[in-house]
Amino acid sequence: MIGGSISRWTMTYFAAALTWLLAVLTLMIVGIGHPATDLAAPDTLVLVHVVCIGWLSLAMCGALFQFVPVLVARPLFSERWALPALALLTAGLVSLLAGFMALGGRLPSAPWLLPLGAVLLVTGFSLVVVDLGLTAWQRPTGPARFVLVGLASLCATVVFGTVFAFALAGWAGRIGEVVLARGIPLHAIAGLGGWLTLTAMGVSYRLLAMFMLAPDVEDRQSRLTLVAGALAVAMIVGGGAAAIGFGAGLNTVLAIAALLGLVCATLYGRDLASIFRTRKRHHLELNMRMALLSFASLAGTGLLGVALVSTATLPMHVGALAFLAVFGWLSGLVLAKLYKIVAFLTWLETYGPVMGRAPTPRVQDLVAERRATKWFATYYVSVWMGTLALLAKEPDAFRMAAVAMTVGVVGIVHEIVRIRRLEDVASPLRLPAGAVAPHLLFAKT
Amino acid sequence: MTDPLVEPVRDALRVVIDPELGENIVDLGFVYDIAVADGAVRITMTATTPGCPATSFLKEGAQTAASTVPGVVSVDVRMTFEPAWTPDLIVPAVRTSLGFAAVN
Repeated sequence: MIGGSISRWTMTYFAAALTWLLAVLTLMIVGIGHPATDLAAPDTLVLVHVVCIGWLSLAMCGALFQFVPVLVARPLFSERWALPALALLTAGLVSLLAGFMALGGRLPSAPWLLPLGAVLLVTGFSLVVVDLGLTAWQRPTGPARFVLVGLASLCATVVFGTVFAFALAGWAGRIGEVVLARGIPLHAIAGLGGWLTLTAMGVSYRLLAMFMLAPDVEDRQSRLTLVAGALAVAMIVGGGAAAIGFGAGLNTVLAIAALLGLVCATLYGRDLASIFRTRKRHHLELNMRMALLSFASLAGTGLLGVALVSTATLPMHVGALAFLAVFGWLSGLVLAKLYKIVAFLTWLETYGPVMGRAPTPRVQDLVAERRATKWFATYYVSVWMGTLALLAKEPDAFRMAAVAMTVGVVGIVHEIVRIRRLEDVASPLRLPAGAVAPHLLFAKT
Repeated sequence: MTDPLVEPVRDALRVVIDPELGENIVDLGFVYDIAVADGAVRITMTATTPGCPATSFLKEGAQTAASTVPGVVSVDVRMTFEPAWTPDLIVPAVRTSLGFAAVN
């Protein structure tokens, strides 16, 4: 394929995802679903699913609709599925959240809300998995393999979640009850570790090499990283399900998976180092410098995990560990890359059609890095302070950190809106004859 | 002998920039060949990544820019990724201004 097309709905996914991120931050500020409270408490379930489905999964899906075709140099299987998938995922998430709120007594009891939400989410994610899976399968090399394993992990996560939803409604029988009682860690790790982390790793290989003009990491090298990650997910899903089936303990499965996960993260660090070492572009743009902070947060998550296990305090601090993984590593990387992807796609949409007819700005002319730096710095510092507040069991300090995170995110969203509106492009180049200003929420092409 | 249209076409292509690097495709070394016969121009060029959406805009941009040159009757732009583009194809002055690593 010589040149892919612009995904029409990627911006729509990003806008929906950022809206859910602001909702998450609001929940944390008002103290609903505090990350350090019981993982199974209804309010925590609301918070966790808003962040994992609403924010991270929607942002990831939007990015993948644009980038899987770039990874494999083949067109997307079906562009037309993207919008119905977003509608189904949004409706499913709203129904699921309402179900959790009913469980917690915040809404009148309505047990059917959770299974309804699960069915809508299964349908929405199925459209995404088939669309992206069939696209990636055409040329499953390097980063595309990470995406395929990530999609398989998403399927496992969704299956566990569906069983839980039916079990919470009392519709899943005794087996459903058993899976619900013991399977939550498997669901969470398959989602955060398999779907979100492995996919983010895969996309980052290509994006980092592309934007820094570094040679791609050799397939043989990145395959080892993927094998470690895939084995960790397989151990969690397969080993965990077997342990539950045979009534055995989960500790051995979790320990082996954690070890494999650490190996995967370490090998990923080695791969990233080789990309940075061999890059031809010495100057690092803001999105790359901020991505480094998310890689540091991933390393911090690994170290914190080892420290908590070795001091036998993991059960007490699992909320802090999950918080650092979700907001330092995953959310930080997604925000940093959104900043770049929005600028790049906005450039293509606005100036691509007039190339050769008139002088055009550069992608970097659409952004104001100096101004954006302070919002990103605010975000990362407050995430790290929030992690410390959780470790120290200081809820008030945690809320302060959540307020500071919100300030950072609102600033970043404001910068992204400015990019979309071309507000930082100098006027002679802003809209050459024939160029059309982009729509804020979708691509016109 | 080189056709007199080659250099005007090459100059016209300088309005087309790589959006990411912000430099024109001629100085970046994307243009591998310009062949002219009786006003029919054939451009062989490349880009950094095959599947990137910018690639098709670069191709169309080159087509449009070359068509503006007086005397050009038709333009055929052929994209190729063999040989693959590397930063050592960038003209030295631009490479320095982009802050690139030394290319061996």
